[in-house]
Amino acid sequence: MPISAAEPLLDIAGLSTGYGKIGVLHGIDLMVGAGEVVALLGPNGAGKTTLLRAVSGLLPWSGRVRLAGRDLVGVNPREIVKAGLAHVVEGHRVFTQLTVLDNLLLAAYDLARSERAARVDEVLHLFPEIATKRHDRAVTLSGGQQQILAVAQGLVRRPRLLMLDEPSAGLSPVLVDRVLVVVQRLREAGIAVLLVEQLIEKALAIADRVYALARGSIVLEAQTGETDLPLRLEHAYLAISSRTSLSQDSSLWP
Amino acid sequence: MVESIVLSGVAIGCIYALIGITYNVMFSASRVFSFTAGTLGMLGGVLGSLFIARMEMPVAVGFLLALAGGGVLGIVTEIVAVRPVLRSLDQHLYVLSTLALALMVQQFTAIEWSTEPQPFPRLFDIARGGFDQQFWLPMLACAVVIAGLDLLYRYTLTGRAFLAIAEDTYAARALGLPERGLRLASFALAGVIGALAGFAGGEMLLAFFANAPMLTFYGFVPVALGGMGNNRGALAAGLLLGLFQQAANFLVGGIFASVAVFTVFIIVLLACPEGLAGAALQRRV
Amino acid sequence: MMDTSAARLRPSRAGVHASASTIGAAVPFLTLLLVGVAFPLFGGGYWGVIATRACVYWVLVSGLNLVVGFAGQIAIGWVALLTLGAYTTSVLTAGNVTPAFPPYLALAIAAVVGAVFGLIIGLPALRLRTFYFAITTLGFATIVTQVALAWQSVTGGGVGVPGPIFPAPFASQWGFYYFCFGLAAICTWMTANVAASRFGRALTAIRDAEVAAEASGISKSALLSTVFLFSGAVAAIAGGLFAALQSYITPDAFTLDLSILFFISILIGGRGSVLGPLLGTILLTALPEFAAPLVAWSTFLYAVLLLVIVLAIPGGIAEILDFKNRRPLESDRAIIPRPDLLARLLGAPANAGALMLEHVALSFGGVHAIEDLDLEIRPGQVHGLIGPNGSGKTTTLNVISGFYAQQRGAVSLNGTALAVFNRPQRAHMRIARTFQTPRIVGSASVLQNVMIGGTIDGKGAFVESLLLLPRHRRDEAMLRDTAMLALAAVGLERLAAVRADRLQHSELRFTEIARALMLRPAFLLLDEPAAGLSAEEIGRLGALLLTIARAGTGVLLVEHHADLVFDICHHVTVLNLGKVLAAGTPAEIRSHREVVHAYLGG
Repeated sequence: MPISAAEPLLDIAGLSTGYGKIGVLHGIDLMVGAGEVVALLGPNGAGKTTLLRAVSGLLPWSGRVRLAGRDLVGVNPREIVKAGLAHVVEGHRVFTQLTVLDNLLLAAYDLARSERAARVDEVLHLFPEIATKRHDRAVTLSGGQQQILAVAQGLVRRPRLLMLDEPSAGLSPVLVDRVLVVVQRLREAGIAVLLVEQLIEKALAIADRVYALARGSIVLEAQTGETDLPLRLEHAYLAISSRTSLSQDSSLWP
Repeated sequence: MVESIVLSGVAIGCIYALIGITYNVMFSASRVFSFTAGTLGMLGGVLGSLFIARMEMPVAVGFLLALAGGGVLGIVTEIVAVRPVLRSLDQHLYVLSTLALALMVQQFTAIEWSTEPQPFPRLFDIARGGFDQQFWLPMLACAVVIAGLDLLYRYTLTGRAFLAIAEDTYAARALGLPERGLRLASFALAGVIGALAGFAGGEMLLAFFANAPMLTFYGFVPVALGGMGNNRGALAAGLLLGLFQQAANFLVGGIFASVAVFTVFIIVLLACPEGLAGAALQRRV
Repeated sequence: MMDTSAARLRPSRAGVHASASTIGAAVPFLTLLLVGVAFPLFGGGYWGVIATRACVYWVLVSGLNLVVGFAGQIAIGWVALLTLGAYTTSVLTAGNVTPAFPPYLALAIAAVVGAVFGLIIGLPALRLRTFYFAITTLGFATIVTQVALAWQSVTGGGVGVPGPIFPAPFASQWGFYYFCFGLAAICTWMTANVAASRFGRALTAIRDAEVAAEASGISKSALLSTVFLFSGAVAAIAGGLFAALQSYITPDAFTLDLSILFFISILIGGRGSVLGPLLGTILLTALPEFAAPLVAWSTFLYAVLLLVIVLAIPGGIAEILDFKNRRPLESDRAIIPRPDLLARLLGAPANAGALMLEHVALSFGGVHAIEDLDLEIRPGQVHGLIGPNGSGKTTTLNVISGFYAQQRGAVSLNGTALAVFNRPQRAHMRIARTFQTPRIVGSASVLQNVMIGGTIDGKGAFVESLLLLPRHRRDEAMLRDTAMLALAAVGLERLAAVRADRLQHSELRFTEIARALMLRPAFLLLDEPAAGLSAEEIGRLGALLLTIARAGTGVLLVEHHADLVFDICHHVTVLNLGKVLAAGTPAEIRSHREVVHAYLGG
């Protein structure tokens, strides 16, 4: 079969999932190409975190998800990490009772012992602010440093696609920029990034493409260069329509 | 008199502490308390007596087999009674499934082994008296386990993976840690620790199926008072419990001693439901 | 779809349904009654003993069923009460320690002793986690047996005491059988009455949806205490009967195995049922008698059965016998509320004042969840509370409804302060709420779930329900009619008899609203009710909430769905990072630059 235009690294089609009886995502189509930075925006409760959880195997789903052509149905998170996808979860959750070094070594759990130390060193070079604290327990790190550590954990396995869930949450603007500079460098190194973010302007500044997710469906897909993007996003978020407010229209209900 | 109370109190306290640690290791891996902890202790004594006294195997072989038996029960507990229940929405089912499993093992032992306490073999051929092996064996076992767990958590990556799973299962899974395999390994380890407690305490407790409910209760007191998942707390509370019980035994006699222990336990627990160390309450809404 | 020509809901329809299903439910019990009465005709002497024993065990288990099956407390040491009752009755009738009492009086005194100790053993449940409580009941069981062994002067120690002898006509084997059978029948009747009363429903609410129970005004401590008293009394009576059956008791007759038997009978029978545990008790008592080797292995068998039930059929025998919930439901079910019925349900506006929050602040650890929050919810209006994640919306709702305590500031209704953590007060002041994830009793019907919402409106006492006295019947009729009306108002009355865990998520949401409406609320607080609903359902929800407001209720809508909020709210408050960012009409908020920024982040 001839290989046509570059097959996307991450190819999601018709993805639906939820928690128990609550359906959260309804037929999501999304693509991330190799080396691309894609931003996933949307109001709270839209399902952005749920989408990442489904892709990384933490939640069951229906539909189609392919990573570099490989079908991910029924694959557990450990295998998905081995296949080259890293998921940095929301809330900078690191193991607070363990040292920075231990946190990174655990990320390298499935690597051969000889390789672990080298990979961990490699990652620590990228983040000098936590390299100096390598023997300190993670609970002594500030929120921002913990977030950096979480991103570092994601990078230990040299993933092809890194998924970041709201890395800016709770961070000072300086640290937010720090994290985003890292994302920039990842793109230069050929790593694709799927970035879920609340800070629209910052996300648009570094992403190549953007999707907006609202109420469980994709409501917008665009290149970040497009001119009326901010306004279109606002409309998508706040679902502004021409319908008048029900509380003011007494003809609708007796 | 005092020396006797201290010796027996610390010895039995170490056994209780070890059962408490068994509870804790299972709890850390799964957020679930298993009724099989006390049964593991019973099994250590029964299997030791079976292999060494009845089947006349060498002490070392019987010892290893008894520990292996504990490990097997630990694994069976995880697969049969814990894993299926963790998936369901009704979290309290684990109390029933582990209770059922524990009862099955206890009853089987009562019928196939004996309903009467059987003697536990003397492990080292040294004369009795003074600081006898029946006292220092449990203490040694306790020290070995505490040190061993410390080494495990500090120097092996697997040990630190156990700590990671205990702290944040979700983050561990997302990171790609083999959560299921680690949980299984934790339960196997807990099984070995429980069996070790029963084996080391064999001479004191004898090989008796009814040790199971007794250890289920007395082994839980260190957990309740020391704090869930807190091994140091379990050790301290276990030793206190052992000493208090032996002192009460000598002073007021066996049965009222039990009443005394139980009453104190209930009062302390009602005053500090999260243990003497305290813990954060969960969010419900 | 709805028949629009049916102008009124006929409350008697619900009543007829109720009678029909009650007769249906009574058939198995009547069958057992007949079999039991006729038993001496075909059962021999040996089986007579077994049957008597089953009756005695059931007297205890029927009471324990309320504790374990309904309230969900893992009380595995209840044999302690059997022991207490047996020894109390025997010692009092023996006449060695006290003057000899007549056996019926001794039994009555044992019941009182049992009630007191039932309360003592049970009360830790209010403070301890599940597993911890289970362990303490185990401890109690051991202690009681050991005391029986040690207190030789009274209990005869290991030697034991003779059991009571009941006078004619209950002295003979069959006479005594009928005595025990009669008591067993009465206990069945009484506990079935409780099960079908607001107390039984409240117990299952405590078991499966504790926060919803609290929000409905149910007092866990009062209800559980009542149940422990009853259960202890009944267990002690069973103990007296047991002692008479054994004719001589020693401490080793009261083994942990017996305790396990009682407990497992209930689990095998199914929680929340009376028939199930009854069948379970008969089964487990009779099973070992079928083959000699089974006697030795009986507890092993019980344990295997328990494991199988827990893993495969958690609902037990009751689930197996639940034929009506196997009938398939229509697949295209639409929820169509009937707002015209709401006026009837809610009645005239109560003329309450506003619900006010003034300078309310609450921090968790170092994080300010809400800070200097002022909020006023007026009757007759829908007030929206929106904001990004972590803005404090749900925290605010939890403070108003009494689940969190503010550290500064005041929450008041019409000038009366709302006491911190006092959930029953909220219910009595007619402040109702729903939850982010529907909290319902999955194994109960939709109607029963909604009736839970009106528990505090019942006037009858526990004893009146126990004995099916008139006030209980009036309460039940009132609750049933109100609940059917509430279900019709939200559009779910066709699902009234369906077991709640068969419903779709959206239907559960509306069920919660119906339950909240049972309080005829002056204020209704909703926690993200639109999550998981389709666009059409959100529209219907909006119309329903507007109508509720028009009837005079003040509605607080905490939501993510900005479109719903802007559609139906008269007033909107926007929170960000725990502080009020903006407040005003939807039009004002929508064009407020800072609000847009907060939502879009920046």
